[in-house]
Amino acid sequence: MQSVLAATRSSQLALSKRAFSTSVRRWQAVPQQKPVLMKEFKIYRWNPEEPEQKPKLQSYQIDLNQTGPMARPFNILDALIKIKNEIDPTLTFRRSCREGICGSCAMNIDGQNTLACLCRIDRNGSKDSKIYPLPHMYIVKDLVPDMTQFYKQYKSIQPWLQNDNPPEKGEFLQSPEDRKKLDGMYECILCACCSTSCPSYWWNQDEYLGPATLMQAYRWIADSRDSYGAQRKEKLQNEMSLYRCHTIFNCSRTCPKGLNPAAAIAKIKLELAAD
Amino acid sequence: MSSSLVLRSAIPRAVARRLAVRSATQARFESTDAKYAYVPGGPILPGTVNDPTPFPAPNRAHGSYHWAFERLLSAGLVPLTAAAFVTSGTNYPVLDGILGISLVMHSHIGFDSMLVDYLHPRKFPVIGRVMTWTLRTATVATLVGIYQFNTNDIGLTELIAKAWTA
Repeated sequence: MQSVLAATRSSQLALSKRAFSTSVRRWQAVPQQKPVLMKEFKIYRWNPEEPEQKPKLQSYQIDLNQTGPMARPFNILDALIKIKNEIDPTLTFRRSCREGICGSCAMNIDGQNTLACLCRIDRNGSKDSKIYPLPHMYIVKDLVPDMTQFYKQYKSIQPWLQNDNPPEKGEFLQSPEDRKKLDGMYECILCACCSTSCPSYWWNQDEYLGPATLMQAYRWIADSRDSYGAQRKEKLQNEMSLYRCHTIFNCSRTCPKGLNPAAAIAKIKLELAAD
Repeated sequence: MSSSLVLRSAIPRAVARRLAVRSATQARFESTDAKYAYVPGGPILPGTVNDPTPFPAPNRAHGSYHWAFERLLSAGLVPLTAAAFVTSGTNYPVLDGILGISLVMHSHIGFDSMLVDYLHPRKFPVIGRVMTWTLRTATVATLVGIYQFNTNDIGLTELIAKAWTA
């Protein structure tokens, strides 16, 4: 690359003075400096090692236009990592894939449950951005909620293929129409944004399964290869597990993957009623 | 030879130690120590972290039958209300009676749903049960009242028509 540049430079040198001077200006042009754009982030902090101190909102200011070894903060996760790297290494949050497929960085950003890595920063510097952990969860530290109950509930619906009569040879075959029934459900990454946005899940988290788990329950009920649909449905025949859903639709509104858990729950209710 | 002997004797000892540690941990998780007692909705969960949450005993009367009944009742109330509008309660006393009963049942299910959501007896053992029985008493009393009013007085539809034009 440098040799090519040098070659062009020398050839232009040979051509004329005029060409030489304009080219130098272009080569030496400094990148356009962007103005400083300070943005305030107010982040929920709670340290389990100081349990007598109440949770508080801590304010951090970062420059959204700052360039450097790290790219300009573009989404909320970038901003969090920048704060953790440059301002306060004690800030604690979960993150992994930074591209919306792992579900680790689910949190409540400006009143909406979403993935920090998929949430763009509002570039209005005069407005602060408030970041809380997922609502109505027990907090391990700062933005890290305790997901144990959520995972225990997911386990309770037995999220795996159950069929006592596997095909004699080869694999389970499925028609394209049957496969289509799973679209919009298998994409769920279990980030718990929907479940923790559901008021019913807030009040009755110990008994109500919540939208994420119920959509996965229906994902296996709807699967043409699974033969345990009746048993799966029978387990939901009680007051609490399914029927605490009051069609509030927060789940479908907040889903960062654009899925529709409310529709899946409605289909379970319809199948149970038609049973 | 000696090394294999050492190995042979070391493995069961390590396994035994591991088992002892594990049973001690499990005992700690399953203990009903008052400090770490299970409270519904609290941070202490029943069982280990690897146990799935249990389901209540299946009961269709609490599940799909209840839901279907509630939805059919709500849908049925729409034509029933319209019918009460175009007719008069004195000419169709049966319609008046059906409207009275279904309205009260509809509101009973609605209030009961609130109690299950916010004052479930598993979390509120005293006030939850008190409220459940208060609701049942109120529902029965309202049904009796509507029966008396419909048989001995002008009836529900006429009352609403009167209040509407008053």
